[in-house]
Amino acid sequence: MSWSAETIKRAHDIVARYPEPRSAVMPLLYLAMRQDGYLTADGMKQVAELVGITPAQVQSVATFYVMFKTEPKGKYLISMCTSISCYLMGADDVLHAIEESSGVPAGEADDEIGVEHAECIGACGGAPACLVNYELIEGLTVEKAKELVKWLRDGKPETINGDELQTLFGSVTSFDWAIKEENAAIGPYPAFPVFGTAAQNTDALEPGRGA
Amino acid sequence: MAYPLVVTKRMMEHPTDSHTMERYEATGGYVAARQSIGQTREELVELVKASGLLGRGGAAFSAGLKWSFLAPARPAYLVVNGDESEPGTFKDRQLMERDPHQIVEGMIIAAKANEVHDSFVYIRGEYPKPARRLQQAVAEAYAKGYLGKGIFGTDYDLELTVHLGAGAYICGEETALLNSLEGRRGEPRLKPPYFPAAKGLYMKPTIVNNIETISNLPHIINQGSEWFAGLSDSADTGTFMMSISGHVNKPGNYELPHGLTWREVIYDVAGGIRNGNELKAWVPGGASAPWFVPELHLDKPVTKEACAADGSMLGSGAIIVMDHTTDMVGAAERLVAFFAEESCGQCTPCREGTTWLDMILQRVLNGAGRDADIDLLLDVADNISVGLGWPPKQTTICPLGPSAVSPVMSLVRHFRDEVEAHIASAPHAGGQGVSVSIRGIA
Amino acid sequence: MSDPLVKITINGVAHHVPGHSVLIKTAEDLGTYIPRFCWHPRMAPVGMCRMCLVEIEGPRGVMLVPSCTTPIHDEMIVHTETDTVKKAQEGVLEFLLANHPLDCPVCDRGGECPLQDQTMAYGPGESRFVEEKRHYEKPIPISDLVMLDRERCILCARCTRFSDEISGDPLIEFMDRGNSTQVNTFTEEPFASYFSGNTVQLCPVGALTASPYRFRARPWDLRVIGSTCTVCSAGDSISVHASQNEVLRYLGVDNDATNHGWLSDKCRFGFEYLNSDDRLTTPLVRGADGEFAEASWSEALGLVAEKLTAIVTDHGPQAVAGLGGSRGTNEDAYAFSKFMRTVVGSGHIDSQMDDGLNPQLLAALSGKGLIGDLEHAKTILLWAADLKEEHPTLYLRVRRAAQELGAKLIIVHPRRTGLDDRATFKFGYKPGDGGRVLSELMAGQGEYAAARAALSEGPVVAIVGRTGLTESPVLAESVAAFARDLPNASVLPIVRRSNTYGALDMGLAPNLLPGRAGIGSPGCANLEATWGGLPTKAGYDAAAIATGIDEGSIKGVILLGADPVADMPNGLDLTAPDFVVAIDLFLTESSSQADVVFPALGFAEKEGTVTNLEGRVQKVNRVVPGPGQAREDWSILDDLAARMGKPMGFASAEAISKEIAHVAPAYESVTWDLVTWDHPDGAVVPVVAERSPLEYVPVVSSTSSTPSKSEFVLHSARTMYDNGVMCQQGPSIGKLAPGAAAYLNPDDAERLGVVDGDLVRVASTNGQGDLPVVIDSSLTDGVVYVPFNQPGGPRFGSDLDVSVVKL
Repeated sequence: MSWSAETIKRAHDIVARYPEPRSAVMPLLYLAMRQDGYLTADGMKQVAELVGITPAQVQSVATFYVMFKTEPKGKYLISMCTSISCYLMGADDVLHAIEESSGVPAGEADDEIGVEHAECIGACGGAPACLVNYELIEGLTVEKAKELVKWLRDGKPETINGDELQTLFGSVTSFDWAIKEENAAIGPYPAFPVFGTAAQNTDALEPGRGA
Repeated sequence: MAYPLVVTKRMMEHPTDSHTMERYEATGGYVAARQSIGQTREELVELVKASGLLGRGGAAFSAGLKWSFLAPARPAYLVVNGDESEPGTFKDRQLMERDPHQIVEGMIIAAKANEVHDSFVYIRGEYPKPARRLQQAVAEAYAKGYLGKGIFGTDYDLELTVHLGAGAYICGEETALLNSLEGRRGEPRLKPPYFPAAKGLYMKPTIVNNIETISNLPHIINQGSEWFAGLSDSADTGTFMMSISGHVNKPGNYELPHGLTWREVIYDVAGGIRNGNELKAWVPGGASAPWFVPELHLDKPVTKEACAADGSMLGSGAIIVMDHTTDMVGAAERLVAFFAEESCGQCTPCREGTTWLDMILQRVLNGAGRDADIDLLLDVADNISVGLGWPPKQTTICPLGPSAVSPVMSLVRHFRDEVEAHIASAPHAGGQGVSVSIRGIA
Repeated sequence: MSDPLVKITINGVAHHVPGHSVLIKTAEDLGTYIPRFCWHPRMAPVGMCRMCLVEIEGPRGVMLVPSCTTPIHDEMIVHTETDTVKKAQEGVLEFLLANHPLDCPVCDRGGECPLQDQTMAYGPGESRFVEEKRHYEKPIPISDLVMLDRERCILCARCTRFSDEISGDPLIEFMDRGNSTQVNTFTEEPFASYFSGNTVQLCPVGALTASPYRFRARPWDLRVIGSTCTVCSAGDSISVHASQNEVLRYLGVDNDATNHGWLSDKCRFGFEYLNSDDRLTTPLVRGADGEFAEASWSEALGLVAEKLTAIVTDHGPQAVAGLGGSRGTNEDAYAFSKFMRTVVGSGHIDSQMDDGLNPQLLAALSGKGLIGDLEHAKTILLWAADLKEEHPTLYLRVRRAAQELGAKLIIVHPRRTGLDDRATFKFGYKPGDGGRVLSELMAGQGEYAAARAALSEGPVVAIVGRTGLTESPVLAESVAAFARDLPNASVLPIVRRSNTYGALDMGLAPNLLPGRAGIGSPGCANLEATWGGLPTKAGYDAAAIATGIDEGSIKGVILLGADPVADMPNGLDLTAPDFVVAIDLFLTESSSQADVVFPALGFAEKEGTVTNLEGRVQKVNRVVPGPGQAREDWSILDDLAARMGKPMGFASAEAISKEIAHVAPAYESVTWDLVTWDHPDGAVVPVVAERSPLEYVPVVSSTSSTPSKSEFVLHSARTMYDNGVMCQQGPSIGKLAPGAAAYLNPDDAERLGVVDGDLVRVASTNGQGDLPVVIDSSLTDGVVYVPFNQPGGPRFGSDLDVSVVKL
């Protein structure tokens, strides 16, 4: 058991939210990703034990969903949308620029940066768009994409904040983003802040039944 | 163009704080929910039936009727589908991000109408920010006693859990979503026997409603079914949200009345085609809808009925506009690739067929097309969607497979010359290709 | 309970059929075969392969539907051969073949492959798929017994569904998604299921193959004969496949009454011992040097006849004891019974090895049930060994009842069992404390109240046996007595060893005579006439025989396929008797101590009948000749009888079965023709007054416990794979025995200061051993569990009290 007692308790709380424990598999897989940066065999075994199914069943679920990674994807995963609206607005060129400037072909990762193409991420009005550790940038260009890679490589940011990314590298958006999120920063590695990946207290933001 | 707004009214009028409890309550929020707690299931179901509200997830089925079909056994569950993943669609994202309390309040009403005490919102994994906003609203509602034990000081309990997906388009299909929410692979269930109204989440009766559908409920309670029905001349009542993307000057989400023409939507609402280019084609209702072209459809009304009459659909209300610079084979390939990538893999025709279609299109794009490929495309498509008609006669478990057929059919129907041009420019143009003997070896 | 008939029209022909079925099944029953890959009659339909698409006429016109998921209804109109249907089916086949390798010539499934057959029948001659096929590493071992070739897999989910829904071991699953979907195990965890072989049999292509069978034969070269598995006492139907006089595989045969077509791996791969080089091929006689020497039959038989006659002459017939007979056929058992009673004249005979239950309870329990009763049970009481370990296909039937059919399942067992995940109530306890548990359950006290209430809802099926070897058989009998009186109850008293029930029915117990007669039972006139008299008092059971040997009153021992040294919890001292003769397949711990050993024919080498735990008589058949000079048990005993001057006059197994039908009241009218042709699922011999001279009614005698003063009590139970000779002589399954270990509750482990893997010394008055610790939270405080009869493991006997010390 590689998880801390605190994480285990957190996991038990998540399991307790659902009428049947197995429903907690996906939230717990996010928690496991957060622990190790990706889903390790140990992480999946831990999840299996927590919800009472076999590790094979957990892996079966994990590998169905593309956002669960069973291999390391670096500290910063750039998921470039190449579906129809982004394609129409030049996404292939942007992806190519990301691959070139990072030296990481889509589908691969070095210790720092992972690059992948993604299917539609729901930012079609702000095409082309990408996710960095699953935080969105809309209205990307070839030039801005290169800057993004450089910023990640050089700056090695300890937190990723969607609003900051959009300000630095984005342009046209699907709709008015209007309100800035103060506590939305997440740490490195693709995982969700909603399960407490940031220094900030995110308990209130955890999906679930309120405080 | 000032159209009446319902679900986006608050966020348009209060762009900086429409997501907060303060603003929500200051603009009439939670009055409807409070009222609904005192109403019976029959009253609420009848009200929503009378409003004519149709499901906004794509199927456009009467929301009230759907509620009335809920099997009587309890516990029952309410699941709100925030997995919007159809390429071109991003309206629910805005509703969740900008007016989350509207969704919480709508869910309280839907829960009460269906005597449900446990509810879930399933949000696609790529939407962490909308999830955070909605979660914040949920936390505030719990804190105020609008969710939890004895809501609004009554003896009615309601739990609401925000649940994140993790990257699977198919989870927008309601039975796949329920599997996913149960911690399983998001594979669609067989219908029959697994109609959610009878055997849904944990095999219990379950209502599955879309985010936009739910967002309309507080307004229907507050202003009445007649008002809502009166917003439209069409059988489709109220307003609807349209996500516009592609080669237009003003992409974005627009809450629109029913019955505009496509010309009005594309040229007036969305500001026309970029750089003054010519309109070549558009996808009218999400990636799975057969394409429309200006010569045939530009002045047709944007209604469910008119789209159906022209062999397509309004679906999730997403339009993807393509100008004259677009390589239509490339566009079709990209759409097919999406469905191939997102196929759950359960049933043979979808798993094998969508990938095969994509492989053929890629080959054509890469200069290795053969004359036989157009017929092959159509026949492979026919083995997924028998007769290539609309709505499809599917050989598959769910509509995802036939969704990949739409772009192929549309391509060959409207732009066959472009496919032929790709094939003709191939280095080995005109070849009949090879085939592999099966019986000889077996 | 027949369903109302509905009218269904298939391809223009109207039929009237019962209304609860899916279309594919109804059509097949009516003679219209609809092709399929994923559908299997014993599993829930999933509609995944889409091969079975047909057209039905509905309110919205003609629809294409999968016939495996479409229930039939009245006035249904179905078309299975229209152009649309044919095109759809051909399309599916083309899709399936798109990525399927054309390696049929080197595929084990070639010649018996549904995909190959359907391609030949319905498929196109050529593929239009010219793209690169999917590639995977092939084949990969996913367990010690099963290989997986993902390129051949057509993703029908039969294997994954079986493991999840039927056997409850979801260790193989679909991984990844869409076109990359593949079957696989967890990265670090093999497909270690007791039932893995079923997935090989279910696989409609050559994706899953069994390591023991790979590349061994082509289906058209196999000689196939139906038979009945004798690995456990459930009587599973199998087919035996042999080539060139060698048994190469068993397949499960669907028998509604017993196994539903499933087999445990111990059964499926348990044929390997037959082909072992260690099989005995000639009689062996121990020479003056103490070593065995090969002997002729006449020499060996003569010697045994002489020795046995001498013992009887010098010490009386009661100085000879017989053990065994539960591993052969009923005919073998009857011959042994008759030999002991009429030729030797001794009643000291037992087919159980002091590890079973009261023979009268097993053979003649009044109110005994059938396995099929589980289909209708409302509540199941399971107070017996872990069925997953000892009665694997019965385990599947109980699992089905609890999972699919909604029966409430109450389990009482000292440790976790394979069915705990399906239990409505599970009660653990300390061995030795069962009497208290029973009395509280009967009274519905405290934590037992809800379970007791459930037991008031019939029909109740109670499966009753010893949870372990340290537990008194009296407890199980008391549970049976309680269960008998529950509403609409049927009770299945169970022991594991294959043909124990047949052996008991043939009188291989000190207090039973052939045909479920007790000593002195009325209605045994034919037996008395044929045997020339009947015993008037009961002899020794196995434990008493052991005592008799120790005290010197037993001078001669006859072992018939028995290994009491290994199997009796307290062992047996075979060095003490003057003369020991063994009839066996191998030199076992016991037969290797005999003075003379006769080589016997084994399963699939002889024919006869066997009786399962329900009292169901089924046929076993001969497929291969057997090694060397090995002979049937009955024939060896018949020769011996003749040489001892009291010929039994047996000519064949069939002739013996006729004698059984004549003399054994319960078996009257059970003929080979009856069990072979009229009843492919066997003929049940019920415990009813008109057929059973003895109707045994147990009483509740164990309702209190004397708490042990020992710090630890021992729970010792059998595992599926162990050090048994038939297991160890099979290269595939022999290595799967878990090994000896001391399982301890976490609190006890902490108190002893040990963690997983540390060594402890476990000691009883009978023996001791140093064992690695395994933490097992399912155990009650103060219980140490040690699996019985493991390779290299110690032997503690049936002592409850043991000591456990950290080393």
